[in-house]
Amino acid sequence: MSTYIDVADEAAPARKAARPTGFAQVAPALAFVAIFFIFPVIALLLRSVMEPAFGFGNYAELLGSETYLKIFGNTFIVSGVVTVLSLLIGFPVAWTLAIMPARWSSVVFAILLLSMWTNLLARTYAWMVLLQRTGLINKVLIGMGLIDKPLALVNNLTGVMIGMTYIMLPFIILPLHGVIKKIDPAVLQAAALCGASRLQCLTRILIPLAAPGMMAGALMVFVMSLGYYVTPSLLGGTANMMLAELIAQFVQSLVNWGMGGAAAFVLLVVTLTLYAVQLRLFGVQNTGGR
Amino acid sequence: MLLNFDRLGWWRYVLLAITVLTAAFLLLPILFIAALSFGSSQWLIFPPPGWTWRWYAELLSDPQWLASAWTSFKIAAIVTVLSVLLGLVTSFGLVRGKFMFRDALKALFLTPMILPVVVFAVALYAFFLRIGLGGTLVGFVLSHLVLALPFSILSITGALEGFDKSIEDAAVLCGASPLEAKIRVTLPAISHGLFSAAVFSFLTSWDEVVVAIFMASPTLQTLPVKVWATLRQDLTPVVAAASTLLILLTVMLMTLAATVRKVLKK
Repeated sequence: MSTYIDVADEAAPARKAARPTGFAQVAPALAFVAIFFIFPVIALLLRSVMEPAFGFGNYAELLGSETYLKIFGNTFIVSGVVTVLSLLIGFPVAWTLAIMPARWSSVVFAILLLSMWTNLLARTYAWMVLLQRTGLINKVLIGMGLIDKPLALVNNLTGVMIGMTYIMLPFIILPLHGVIKKIDPAVLQAAALCGASRLQCLTRILIPLAAPGMMAGALMVFVMSLGYYVTPSLLGGTANMMLAELIAQFVQSLVNWGMGGAAAFVLLVVTLTLYAVQLRLFGVQNTGGR
Repeated sequence: MLLNFDRLGWWRYVLLAITVLTAAFLLLPILFIAALSFGSSQWLIFPPPGWTWRWYAELLSDPQWLASAWTSFKIAAIVTVLSVLLGLVTSFGLVRGKFMFRDALKALFLTPMILPVVVFAVALYAFFLRIGLGGTLVGFVLSHLVLALPFSILSITGALEGFDKSIEDAAVLCGASPLEAKIRVTLPAISHGLFSAAVFSFLTSWDEVVVAIFMASPTLQTLPVKVWATLRQDLTPVVAAASTLLILLTVMLMTLAATVRKVLKK
């Protein structure tokens, strides 16, 4: 902001200070987003109450059938497990990154960014190959004598959980690292001087101080997992669907726009509600992974 | 004490072990794919019985793979240009403008980032079926532009907020026209933001799968759609070769981005 006279306004005397300025610059993008984003999404949601007949029949069918409820269950269980795993692995890593010498941590950061920006399909393909019956993971486990028959690690929810945790880890480590980095080491020093043991320092000071960041990161990973499509469909197989796959199936194979719209609306409402919770609890700066 | 690496005692070995294992967990699948793409086994046996360029030869001689890569590149390039231009104009309005609901509008522009992509993909698929844009290049570009624009707006508004407008005003006082001052003073100063916007926009479009699956037609598909369709049939090593090339491109873009950002910020 300029502290003295606003030259741009003087150069264009037609514009008065009290009148709104800059809206014309935003208008093209607003029109674009309105036509190609807001309108199609609302039209899809409207179809859920218009097709095949006006009313909430689609929602009753969606929430009343055991098949669909199992899919909702899958979605929440996978997202929950992925969130807990990401947090359990992510917290110690973020903590280490915040305090380890910079030249080592920069290597870990490079790996995090590389993994995050590597094509999603390439990463999913890697896990399809690694987890298959004759894959490297089963081979190593058999070689170590831990199992004698190959485990079914893919085409089930286990595969989805492993693949999704792999994808979500950078999204929790990076923001959590920022939160831990901001904690004043003097607080922990003071606790230690007052006689607190290491474990007490961890459970009573470090974790409570990092808790808002952990909650925010966990919520973000959970919400992102709920809507994932590619990884669950490639690693989970057709028998273990998640919500996003159900939406795609309604539209692509069954051409049932009413049910597809209803399922999309459920996913949308859950997602936006959780984001609203996050905004309310933790403020804007913690949302958004990249 | 817990935040001082040298005074952690044996705890630091535990923490280091977890970190090293996690880094390996994140890195190894990527290296594994690269190694497999040179392995001679059709069944992806690891370690491979021998080494070969065969899968790359198969990949690069298949017109379908080449056509889909070219389509992806065309779409990503057009999306990048449009996204940076539209993002730039919009960012000026968002950062310097004064109008009602400005913050709400910025939040609205960022919603495509948080909305589940599959919802957007299905919605746009329905819309494009009606207006006849499904399976067209224009349809691909428009749909990817919706997803790329938030990254562009975030990068450019960030850079613009960090730029002191009085420098631009000074140029105007010295006789430059407002437009000239913007082009010759402000744009160079926020070039790192423009560059990030371009890289993010390109990668968003280039890597995008879900919307592309719905936009694709038998005659027009992007590289990720081709990978997706192939993977649904079998785990051929040709996909490993394609993935390795994609990873290579990502590494190159990331290195380029890091270098350029360093140079531009000076």
